[in-house]
Amino acid sequence: MKKRGRGVAWMFYPIGFTAYANPSAAFVKVNQDGSAVVWTGATDVGQGSTTALAQIAADALGIPVELVTMVTSDTLQTPMDIGSVASRVTYIAGNAIVRACEMAKQILFEVASEELGIGPEGLESRNGWIFVRDFPERRVRLAEIARKAEVVKGRPVIGAGSYNPPTTFLDPETGHGKPYNTYVYAAQVAEVEVDTETGEVKVLRIAAVHDCGRAINPLLVEGQIEGGVAMGLGYALSEEMVLQEGRVLNTKLADYLVPTSLDVPPIDVEIVEVPDPTGPFGAKGIGEPSLLPTAPAIVNAIYDAVGVRIRELPATPERILMALREKEKEQPGRSVRDREDGRPEK
Amino acid sequence: MTFHLRFWLNGQEVRTEVEPDETLLWVLRERLNMTGTKVGCEAGDCGACTVLLDGRPVTSCLLLAPKAHGRHVVTIEGLGSPAKLHPLQQAFITYGALQCGFCGPGMLLSAAALLTQNPHPTEREVREAIAGNLCRCTGYQKIVQAILAVSRGEVP
Repeated sequence: MKKRGRGVAWMFYPIGFTAYANPSAAFVKVNQDGSAVVWTGATDVGQGSTTALAQIAADALGIPVELVTMVTSDTLQTPMDIGSVASRVTYIAGNAIVRACEMAKQILFEVASEELGIGPEGLESRNGWIFVRDFPERRVRLAEIARKAEVVKGRPVIGAGSYNPPTTFLDPETGHGKPYNTYVYAAQVAEVEVDTETGEVKVLRIAAVHDCGRAINPLLVEGQIEGGVAMGLGYALSEEMVLQEGRVLNTKLADYLVPTSLDVPPIDVEIVEVPDPTGPFGAKGIGEPSLLPTAPAIVNAIYDAVGVRIRELPATPERILMALREKEKEQPGRSVRDREDGRPEK
Repeated sequence: MTFHLRFWLNGQEVRTEVEPDETLLWVLRERLNMTGTKVGCEAGDCGACTVLLDGRPVTSCLLLAPKAHGRHVVTIEGLGSPAKLHPLQQAFITYGALQCGFCGPGMLLSAAALLTQNPHPTEREVREAIAGNLCRCTGYQKIVQAILAVSRGEVP
């Protein structure tokens, strides 16, 4: 008999290393044509950080993103970033880039203030223009100012910035401290169908609702969440590294089972944007958090469907059948298989 | 003993000498410098090395090169060009269907073969067609959406 159930799980997750320093640094150069080059050590392994960081640089300088060239992950050329780990790149490398851009923008604004007749603090830049905040029609092309700064004033428009989240170690006596500077939050709901004859679990649908601060690039954020859910689904149901005397026995993708397109159900993603005042334009992170609630939500859904608690992952058909048999032994004659309404005994 | 292999690669006739136990994957990459075809598990499980053989997707890591003799092979280099992307390639970009991109060449070729055979597949048929192409990054959702968009003629 096939029985359906739903389960929910929540999580919070910190951005960055636990108390240890994990800095990032960036250089920026604004060219005479109003384009810019950003150097960052942050490494894009496919999550899209180079795109998001280019967007951050563009908004921080006030130029179109098409005019930003990124130079990344080259230990000879780029300043250091500690790595694409701890869901930290958008937050920490992003903050470093904002600071580098602020330094370059200060040079632009000081030069522009002569033309616009107001101090640099009264200026803003957007879409390739520098303008007076209170009188936006009083404006000058950013490229013109960049050229003037470099050629006439002898002040190349460059900037450098770094960021390291302010943290403290936990006090060994009290356990108190501030090991992270910010956190993200999420909830996921899984709907599953459990076959009580075979122990097989089919995930029918997953809803994933995530806070990531400001979503710099919502399409990329969705991609991170969908991929994380698929990874969490594998963790919940099929992926198990089998060790024997220190050797991995299942070293092939034929026996270490990564979810396929037929295993991953439709995923309803919702991004809850709560801008964080400490993040670049309010952004935090989304990499790892996306997969954390998936397995507990699925295991809770299994419990809702057939009334057994699976406490060892993955929840393979064998483990589910064993748990169902244990339950029958404890409650003879009240087998979940006999119930008509599909609701488990609890 | 070498084998004089002759086949059509992306529409052009190719002649090369191969060892009889060489796979098509390594002939493409090492002898013909066509590195768009990826080396994954080399056991036929991941689908990263997928190419089209007479229009059908095959795992080139399991195909002995002499089996391609006289036949038509399409690799990712033959699907589109940077100047003129195949509609599937454009849709994959628009829908954010690639992250690290390693599954991309095989995924795109499996999708292209599907749409040639079945221009208006259901979502289930799309998922079945790419079930042999593992993706660790995307959760498949945006890949499925991109393929369905092309099938509906909605390529931007």
